[in-house]
Amino acid sequence: MPEPNTSTPPRWSLKLLRLFIRKDFVEEVEGDMEEIFWEEVENFGIKKARKRYNWQMVKLLRPALTHNIFNSQKLNYYGMFKHNILVAFRSFMRYKPAFLINLLGLSVGLASSLLIYLWVASELNVDRFHEDGERRYQLITNSHTSNGILTNRATPALLAETLIAEFPEVEKAVFQSWNSTNTLSHGEKNLKASGHYASKDFFNVFSYTLLQGDKNEVLNDNSAILISDQLALNLFGTTTDVVGKTIEFQYFRTLRVSGVFEKPPKSSSHQFDFIINEEEFKVLNSWALNWKNNGPFTFIMLAEGTDPDVFNAKIRDFVSTHGGSESTTLLAVPFESLYLYGTFVNGEPTPGRIKNVRLFSIVALFILSIACINFMNLATARVSRRLKEIGVKKAVGATRRALAGQFLTESLLMTFIALLLAVFMVEAALPYFSNIIGKELSFGLNTGVGLKLIGLAVMIGLLAGSYPALYLSRFQPVKIFRGKSPSSWREVWLRKGLVIFQFTLSIVLIVSVLVVYKQVEYAQTQDIGFNKDNILYFESEGKIELNQEAFLEEVRKVPGVQMASTSAHSLVEGGYNGLTFNIEWTGKDPETEVGMEWMRINYDLIEMLEFDIVTGRSFSKDLKSDYGKVIFNEEAIAAMGLEDPVGAKVKVRGRDSQIVGVVKDFHFKTFHEQVGPAFFELIPDDTWLIMARIDAINQSETIVKLQELYTDFNPGFSFDYKFLEDDYMAQYASEQRVATLARYFAIMAMFISCLGLLGLAAFNVERRTKEIGIRKILGSSARGIVQLLSSHFAKMVLVAIVLAIPISYFISSSWLQGFAYRISLEWWFFALSAGAAMLVAMATVCIQTLHAAHINPVESLRNE
Amino acid sequence: MVLLTVVVLQDHAYGVEIKRELEARLNESLSVGSIQSALKRMEEKGFLTSEFGEATQKRGGKRKRIYDATPYAHKVLEEMKDVRAQLWASIPGIVTN
Repeated sequence: MPEPNTSTPPRWSLKLLRLFIRKDFVEEVEGDMEEIFWEEVENFGIKKARKRYNWQMVKLLRPALTHNIFNSQKLNYYGMFKHNILVAFRSFMRYKPAFLINLLGLSVGLASSLLIYLWVASELNVDRFHEDGERRYQLITNSHTSNGILTNRATPALLAETLIAEFPEVEKAVFQSWNSTNTLSHGEKNLKASGHYASKDFFNVFSYTLLQGDKNEVLNDNSAILISDQLALNLFGTTTDVVGKTIEFQYFRTLRVSGVFEKPPKSSSHQFDFIINEEEFKVLNSWALNWKNNGPFTFIMLAEGTDPDVFNAKIRDFVSTHGGSESTTLLAVPFESLYLYGTFVNGEPTPGRIKNVRLFSIVALFILSIACINFMNLATARVSRRLKEIGVKKAVGATRRALAGQFLTESLLMTFIALLLAVFMVEAALPYFSNIIGKELSFGLNTGVGLKLIGLAVMIGLLAGSYPALYLSRFQPVKIFRGKSPSSWREVWLRKGLVIFQFTLSIVLIVSVLVVYKQVEYAQTQDIGFNKDNILYFESEGKIELNQEAFLEEVRKVPGVQMASTSAHSLVEGGYNGLTFNIEWTGKDPETEVGMEWMRINYDLIEMLEFDIVTGRSFSKDLKSDYGKVIFNEEAIAAMGLEDPVGAKVKVRGRDSQIVGVVKDFHFKTFHEQVGPAFFELIPDDTWLIMARIDAINQSETIVKLQELYTDFNPGFSFDYKFLEDDYMAQYASEQRVATLARYFAIMAMFISCLGLLGLAAFNVERRTKEIGIRKILGSSARGIVQLLSSHFAKMVLVAIVLAIPISYFISSSWLQGFAYRISLEWWFFALSAGAAMLVAMATVCIQTLHAAHINPVESLRNE
Repeated sequence: MVLLTVVVLQDHAYGVEIKRELEARLNESLSVGSIQSALKRMEEKGFLTSEFGEATQKRGGKRKRIYDATPYAHKVLEEMKDVRAQLWASIPGIVTN
């Protein structure tokens, strides 16, 4: 005989049998199986018998023998379903406040997360519309300097054609200049549009749609220009038959339209209205043909099957071996990922925009989970009201499954109503939301989105409804009718835990909003080393460019204009900047390269912008010899290690020059970065930004007068001015966006949490109505009762505060790490957020409790 | 075939015995599931009745279910036999043999 412990049929398949085979067959089938098993043990031995037993067992699972997984008897599903929906509606109507609270909370939560989802989806979609996306790369250059590795998307202009000539794996290569705004005219009509130069294969590398023209030929002609359908409409009044027409470019050159393309979709990170053949660019910017200079952007298509790592290893020193700077290396980065991972640290792409995408995805999940938690919480809390219903149903023979089905139907119905509401809310809020995030979003309800939404609703409905459904259906009718309270300590703790979780999240969000807001405010109000207020600027072009000094004289005469000057640097990040390494001074270590911000300016600019001269003097009009001389900032002097800077000789970009003064450090970049070395060079001829300080009052009149002057001087060009202050603010646009969004979502989170609290408080009050009545009769004051009812909610919020403070401290200090100049985290940020949360929570609870405390005890005790 | 086996086995017609008998006659192995599902389906259609028989040690204390063919089943079997016989008779090749 085999040993007893192994001589039984395998246990797991026995379990399988008992689980799946219909109850009335189990005994017989099990017996049969066992009899055969023993026979086989004798014939083949235990091992084989067990194996065969298992196999036979699997074969037993056929429809004739297994029970129906949904129900052992066939029910009229439709009837049951109809009944469930009816009951659901009745219960909604019966407990209207609870229903409305639930519905509002859920739909607001859904709408918020839907909005975030729309934004996240559109961010993830940027630049993905080009065909063969995984083969398209942008080339970037890394300069290894003593300031660290500086990454530049600009490349030498000859890079594209040289790469394609030397590497067989480069299938196509194209270069494209930076976007510039120019005046285009046809006949009498003129308008400004932005666009760039591009080499011949531009429309082969990128999948922009060509409406007219052949993509292989459109850029072949030296005077070819392609325009967008929108520009064609604005300039010619039609999009058809424009090929062959001429366009005056800057009243300087005549171009011939060779094609029309569809305006790049919103999901394109490149936006342009015209493309011009590359020849003109090479003539105008001959410096870019030098391998030492970086100008245009270069894009390539790699042949299929090329390993980008191998390719990158090959091209690493491509620029320096072709006569470029020794310290420059080349890198090909997937173009698709650049939008989201376009921040470079030490020459490697790192998460940029994707950080915000992730952040807001988490916020969306949080809000959705808060809403779901509310739903579960309120549903379980409502148990006591519906106990009798459950009891009666069970007593007349409802199975647990049927009851669970009823509650799930109810929660699914609720989510679908909430979803419908949420879709309307999203539709209504979308324009405002698009405005805040600075990106046009659209909510197209097609089948794909619809299915996703329905899937989401089903998931939320099942998730949020599962706890109450399983929990409520478990009660034994006897206990219910005996009047025993079914709330266990576990349930109470769960409910408390969920409330604490909600409030922790809300407080963390509030603190984050405060910190972001304070930091942005700090960056905008801090003294940045010059006075940016009321400075208006515009570019000089056309006749003004030829006669800039005379025009400047006229500008100074305009009433309301205090001072005017010109510059070649826009003084804020993202405008016209320039970095140069080509500076030599006595005692310079030939090995080190120091990058300095190079600012070419005119007379008066330092005075107009009120820069602080620390030592030496500013440029003076009286001394003609000041031309070409320089003023460094303190940081630059420190980097150079000059003891006595004023009067020292330096060589700037190969030209001899002399330091006339030192200016106090000022912020020409955002507060994210330390102030670096910079210098002013007096070259009025090289400047093209006309800046003027105007009076703070009657600005619009001054602007109108400037406009008249401009049009007189420069017919055919339009007067586009900007304020320096706006540009400065724009540097923090993304932070401000985060701040605004975080504010709204914090409000949402708080609102949903409070709805939940309101529901719970109402439930609590209702359950204790009699207790309150008795307490009042025994002499308790209304205040005492309010205290009694509110205190445990206060405790929950307190716990949430204790949890939220370290979490929010950690989150906000790590966010602030991204700034070189930042605020310190004050204690009152946390106190204020905690106080606000507590106040709102208590106010919510008190609405309910105050009402309860003032009910006449006669009312509450009458029915017994 | 299962039905016929039930008739043949008379009082001994329960799951394992039917399986054994059929395996012996057909000379191939059958699974418990195929026999059982056929039995259940025929019971549903009214060809078979069943009752619990004795439990043996060999069956781990579980009772057998003894199947018995109903008169209706006998009638259907007869009819089928006739139909088959008629069909066989109509095959020309066999007749000449």
